[in-house]
Amino acid sequence: MKLYLFKNHFMRKLTRSFGLLFLVGLFTLSFNNTLVAQDGATLFKNNCANCHSPAAKRGTGPGLQGFWDRIPGGDEEGKNAWLINWVKNSAAVINGGKDAYINKLYAEYNNYPMQAQPHLSNDEVLAIKDYLISYVPPVADDSAAGAKKNPFIKEEKSFFTPTIQWLLGLSLLFLILAVVLRNIKNTLQDSVDEKEGLIREKRAFPKNLFHWMGTHKLQAGLIILLIKIILLTKLYYWTLGIGVYQGYQPEQPIKFSHAIHAGENGISCVYCHHSAEKGKHAGIPSVNVCMNCHKGISEGTWTGTKEISKIYEAAGYNPETGRYDQPEKPIEWVKIHNLPDLAYFNHSQHVVVGGIECQTCHGPVEEMHELYQHSELTMGWCINCHRETDVKMEGNGYYNKMLSELKAKHKGVEVFKVEDIGGLECSKCHY
Amino acid sequence: MGKQKKYWNSVQHLNNDPAFVASAEKEFAEYIPVDEFLSSETIQDASSSRRDFLKFLGFSVSAATLAACETPVVKSIPYVNKPHEINPGIANYYASTYYDGNDYASILVKNRDGRPIFIQGNDQSEYGAGVNARVNSSVLSLYNSNRLQKPLKAGKVSDWKTINDEVSQKLKNTVASGKKIMLLTRSIISPSTKALIEDLKSKYLNIANTVPGGELVHVPYDAISCSGLLRANQKSLGKRVVPNYRFDKAKTIVSFGADFLCGWLMSGQYAVQYGNVRKPELGAAMAKHYQFESRMSLTGSNADVRIPIKPSQTGKALVLLYNEIAKKASAPAMKSAQLKGFDAKIKQMANDLWSNKSKSLVVSGSNNESDQLIVNKINHLLGSYGTTIDLSTYSEIKQSDDVQIKNAIASMQSGSVGAVIVYGVDPVFNMPKASKFAEGFSKVPLKITLSERLDFTAKVSDYVCPTNHYLESWDDAEPQKGKLSIAQPVINPLYDSKSFQDILITWANLPLDYYSYIKKRWSNLGDTAFWKKSVHDGVASYSSNSGLSLQISDADLAGAGEKIFTQKSNGIELELYTKTAIADGMNADNPWLQELPDPISKVVWDNYITMNPEDMKKEGYGFQTNIQQEIPASMAKLSVGSDHITLPVFPSPGQTIGTVGIALGYGKAIVKEQVIGKNAAHFLTSNSDGDIQYYRTGVKIEPTGETYLMASSQTHNTIMDVDPKDPEVGRKIVNETTLEDFAKGKAHYNPDITLADAYGDQKTTKELDLWAEHPYDTFGHRWGMAIDLNTCFGCSACVTACHSENNVPVVGKDEVRRNRDMFWLRIDRYYSSDMNQDVAEEQGKGAVAMYAEMEHPSAYPQVVHQPLMCHHCNHAPCETVCPVAATTHSNEGLNQMTYNRCVGTRYCANNCPYKVRRFNWFQYDKYNKFTGVNPAQDDLARMVLNPDVTVRSRGVMEKCSMCVQRIQEGKLEAKKNAEPVKDGSIKTACQLACPTNAISFGDLNDKNSNVRAKFSDDRAYALLEEVGTQPNVKYLTKVRNLKESEA
Repeated sequence: MKLYLFKNHFMRKLTRSFGLLFLVGLFTLSFNNTLVAQDGATLFKNNCANCHSPAAKRGTGPGLQGFWDRIPGGDEEGKNAWLINWVKNSAAVINGGKDAYINKLYAEYNNYPMQAQPHLSNDEVLAIKDYLISYVPPVADDSAAGAKKNPFIKEEKSFFTPTIQWLLGLSLLFLILAVVLRNIKNTLQDSVDEKEGLIREKRAFPKNLFHWMGTHKLQAGLIILLIKIILLTKLYYWTLGIGVYQGYQPEQPIKFSHAIHAGENGISCVYCHHSAEKGKHAGIPSVNVCMNCHKGISEGTWTGTKEISKIYEAAGYNPETGRYDQPEKPIEWVKIHNLPDLAYFNHSQHVVVGGIECQTCHGPVEEMHELYQHSELTMGWCINCHRETDVKMEGNGYYNKMLSELKAKHKGVEVFKVEDIGGLECSKCHY
Repeated sequence: MGKQKKYWNSVQHLNNDPAFVASAEKEFAEYIPVDEFLSSETIQDASSSRRDFLKFLGFSVSAATLAACETPVVKSIPYVNKPHEINPGIANYYASTYYDGNDYASILVKNRDGRPIFIQGNDQSEYGAGVNARVNSSVLSLYNSNRLQKPLKAGKVSDWKTINDEVSQKLKNTVASGKKIMLLTRSIISPSTKALIEDLKSKYLNIANTVPGGELVHVPYDAISCSGLLRANQKSLGKRVVPNYRFDKAKTIVSFGADFLCGWLMSGQYAVQYGNVRKPELGAAMAKHYQFESRMSLTGSNADVRIPIKPSQTGKALVLLYNEIAKKASAPAMKSAQLKGFDAKIKQMANDLWSNKSKSLVVSGSNNESDQLIVNKINHLLGSYGTTIDLSTYSEIKQSDDVQIKNAIASMQSGSVGAVIVYGVDPVFNMPKASKFAEGFSKVPLKITLSERLDFTAKVSDYVCPTNHYLESWDDAEPQKGKLSIAQPVINPLYDSKSFQDILITWANLPLDYYSYIKKRWSNLGDTAFWKKSVHDGVASYSSNSGLSLQISDADLAGAGEKIFTQKSNGIELELYTKTAIADGMNADNPWLQELPDPISKVVWDNYITMNPEDMKKEGYGFQTNIQQEIPASMAKLSVGSDHITLPVFPSPGQTIGTVGIALGYGKAIVKEQVIGKNAAHFLTSNSDGDIQYYRTGVKIEPTGETYLMASSQTHNTIMDVDPKDPEVGRKIVNETTLEDFAKGKAHYNPDITLADAYGDQKTTKELDLWAEHPYDTFGHRWGMAIDLNTCFGCSACVTACHSENNVPVVGKDEVRRNRDMFWLRIDRYYSSDMNQDVAEEQGKGAVAMYAEMEHPSAYPQVVHQPLMCHHCNHAPCETVCPVAATTHSNEGLNQMTYNRCVGTRYCANNCPYKVRRFNWFQYDKYNKFTGVNPAQDDLARMVLNPDVTVRSRGVMEKCSMCVQRIQEGKLEAKKNAEPVKDGSIKTACQLACPTNAISFGDLNDKNSNVRAKFSDDRAYALLEEVGTQPNVKYLTKVRNLKESEA
């Protein structure tokens, strides 16, 4: 009971200080917004980059390098007017069908219309124009790339590779075998010698060792006991690890980086893993979800077009024509978090009802380039969490009756653990 | 009083056979085949020494260790384009329609990750939301690897192109040369298919052009014919149809051999209606049910008054009934014959019918036109038409005309038929031998079978084309005029098969595919929105005029009377019937159905001769009545003229003395190169009208001296009531009363159980409790189930639903025989004996004489069906004896079984008073003994397994979990919606399957829940309450609509 009270007091303090921090943050952000609004590069990134590349590369729409020379309108003023009209009223231009330049582009891009951007002011359109004209494609700089290390290129493996380990193990085995054989040979030789009446000097090691053991029984016994204890302890801990794949990091068919998607770009986890809110499986996103963004983004940070083209291959997408006309080929990902068949786990229970952050179980995914299993995923690990976590009962109609019953039963206690409502029972996970 | 009636669960039990008593004391069979294994020759010959053994041991330990180190690689392959409505791990439900020529049902198919895994009734359908065992098992037939996978030509694998090219050309040539194409199908209730057949007819008529005789004729054929009924209705109502029987409007129901709860016409609908009028709460309005029949049918076992009769006497009994009613209605009487022993009962019945005029219903399962004409006349006199027989709509669920089929076979013989296309039926298997179908068929130049399996007809056909399972194709159905339903595909065809309609369309080169046919037809009924709604709901209706008009003439009746007098009774009579699970045998290779115990005999995986035990003991027979694990049944040769069959004889109390029964539909399925049962179709004959008769007279039965081991699920599972001689041991297992007694109040028929405490004071079981109460009595949920014994009539749909939902393994005949069946939910069938304390008192018999009398088998007992599953006792005896805490009690009142903790001591099963725990003896999904028996061994059939339920391994105990996966799912849904669990939102699999809602399930802590109301009902009682287990399952007392004097 004391623990609960302390916790509440502490939490209240914490919330108060966080609230202050939040307000300060809000002010800073709003100032930043007004400053950045004039920046053509940002405007381009926010409004256009989904479909257009500032360089010559074709995306959903044409690459915009050198667009200023291509567009109609005559002099600078005319071109500006044409551009503003086109960007803000693209549908009208296309439907009008009078603009020869647009008609040609429209046909070239599979009759896929450009989204009109009426919310942009004229100045903003021109700011984007200025940015594009001044845009210089970055020159591939080896030294700069070297500074940002590609996380997918693995460091040199340590000396003790599995092969070396195997070889060491084998040589140890042979060594023991050799000693044993030598021992047998010596014993046989001794008995032969004895029969023939030959007297030989006492052999040195290991005959001496056995002799020593025979004469110093207590010491030898203690040493053997110690060795046994060490070995059994090792064995115990080793068996505990059977079936625990913490740190499991298999190689995936595509070098997908969660650090870039969830970390750098801040994409919400459930944008891709949307069924985590609906059902049992969080689900690996289908290729069409990847294509939502990657139709426009065809180059990766470290891998160029190599990895992203694998998505195109899977989706049957041809980036040259912008059509889905190739055969589809599903991607075979390697599942990292595997629960045994006998355990039932439901994501939506934890994410929606429990309000648990993904990171609680999956670790700092936003920092992982290559995903690995962060938690043990053992039953003890589950149970521990069920013992420590409060159930979010307030405000959930399902729990209303249960909460009042529990409060009536445990007077003075306001918050209850999963354990208190049967979260440790077998049939909650095993059926 | 009824409750003092003595029950026994098999003939062995009744006889109190010493072997039975011995076996009843043990939960498990003694016999474990260790000796068999060790004495195997291969093992004795094997030359593995101790040293070898150690080597193997060392090797396997190290191999296992190494294997354990390796991380298994699990692939996860997402969609390329994920369909919007599909989310992995979340089930989708699609409305569809089941129709196989016997049963119609509007269904919901549960699809998980693209695989149909469970079938339940469609609650939008007015025919009720229950589905019978055949319907809910049909999902397993989808994954049957016996299905045809490729089209065959002359028995060899071919391809569609070759077959389509050749057949369509040959069909054209057939009509062009003036010969007929005969389309022999099961009854067609799909309006779109009917339209298609009409189009095919005109198409081929066009091809034939002016050549006479070149045409396509459609012959519907039902394996179980109702031709006589249809012809009688043609005369009485103007159409060859089945009128809309309304059992729910009847106060008195009289059935002459019609098994209307199980297989007779629209039995799914009738079962729902019957359930509605069999509630004792209706008081005097509760329907009274009389049944005349020769074998104990499921319907008969539920009748209030069951009158054993010989099949040949049905007509005469009908005439007697007619005359009684005619007397009251002052209608002309018919010539009648003497029928000994029936007069009193028929008089009483006629009084009952007449006093409930226009609220009574008479039906007959006879396939004699004359019988049916009299039935129609009786119903007419009783004013049933327009009330209990609704003429505003009708059903064409059965269409075959036995005379038309006879003529069709004759035309095959004569050579006027150039091609036969068979679909959905297996006439070589189930047509009477006398009709010489096989002979006629072989004379046809072009024989084509469209079938799901390589059945008997397919084997003798030139071309065999695989058709889709009904879950793989579009279809529609009109089970009754004006009431439509749609069958939508829920999975792509698993094999290289096509729908029957699309095959015909391709051959006739018609412009539209079948899906467009359906849409086109439905576009006449409504717009796109209507179509979409119909596909979503699965059902739709339109207003129509049935066109039925009553035209019952006395002239017809006179002729019928004459014919009835030509029916002669002669010696022993044989009735050919269909069983609940197997029906006509079309799905005989479905292991769930084969393992479903017959509701009456409880026998699995066999057919047999049913005979009254009184008869079996007669001189000259001496058949074994005490059939057990190691006590085989006697074989007998049954012959009528030149037809004969040799089958085991099984005791069936209630079977009319002097009659026997054999189930049809067997002799088809093959498991492990063994044919299951024997086909008895060759006994079928026709009457003078040409209608197929399902009985034979003049039967000779001789014991062959051979024996045969049979498996039945209920010679074990006794519920402690083993010593009828000791009144202290007798317990309230099935509580039963009469309607008269019921009206007097709870104390009369369901008194509280009290026990004497140490001081001799009578106390309720709760007061005498040894244990502390569970916390959930005042907190959270407490799940409970109530089963109404009045509306449960033992149809066993719940048993297969439970198999389907909970991945219950199929174990095969041999294991069932060894008492190792795995049913989580079983239905115990109890026969009652007529002796009870009241009778003994009347006759002045003492206790010893009374109990001795109770041991005597009564020839015609009453029957009770009692479903039994884990009772989730609050104070569960199993929980206290588990050494590893593998079975524990949950916060919500569930008795949890944790397989991964269980070490298989079986203490829990020994301590369970209800005997509902099942030990998993083998790896049914791997061990080769179960290949072909257990569907989980098959890669394809494994797809039917429910992914939310663990497939248990060898060595663990298992039992009913009250569908805890559904409870958890329902709770989660409520939590996500932030609302309390609504009563009725969580349903167990057995509850979903029940056609009469006999099973209620819900939260006992919810004050407004249905199950709580049932628990506090006066009829409610807990099984073995005196043991103090405080089960969370209760039964509602069975009330028979009888007076005390009749009981």
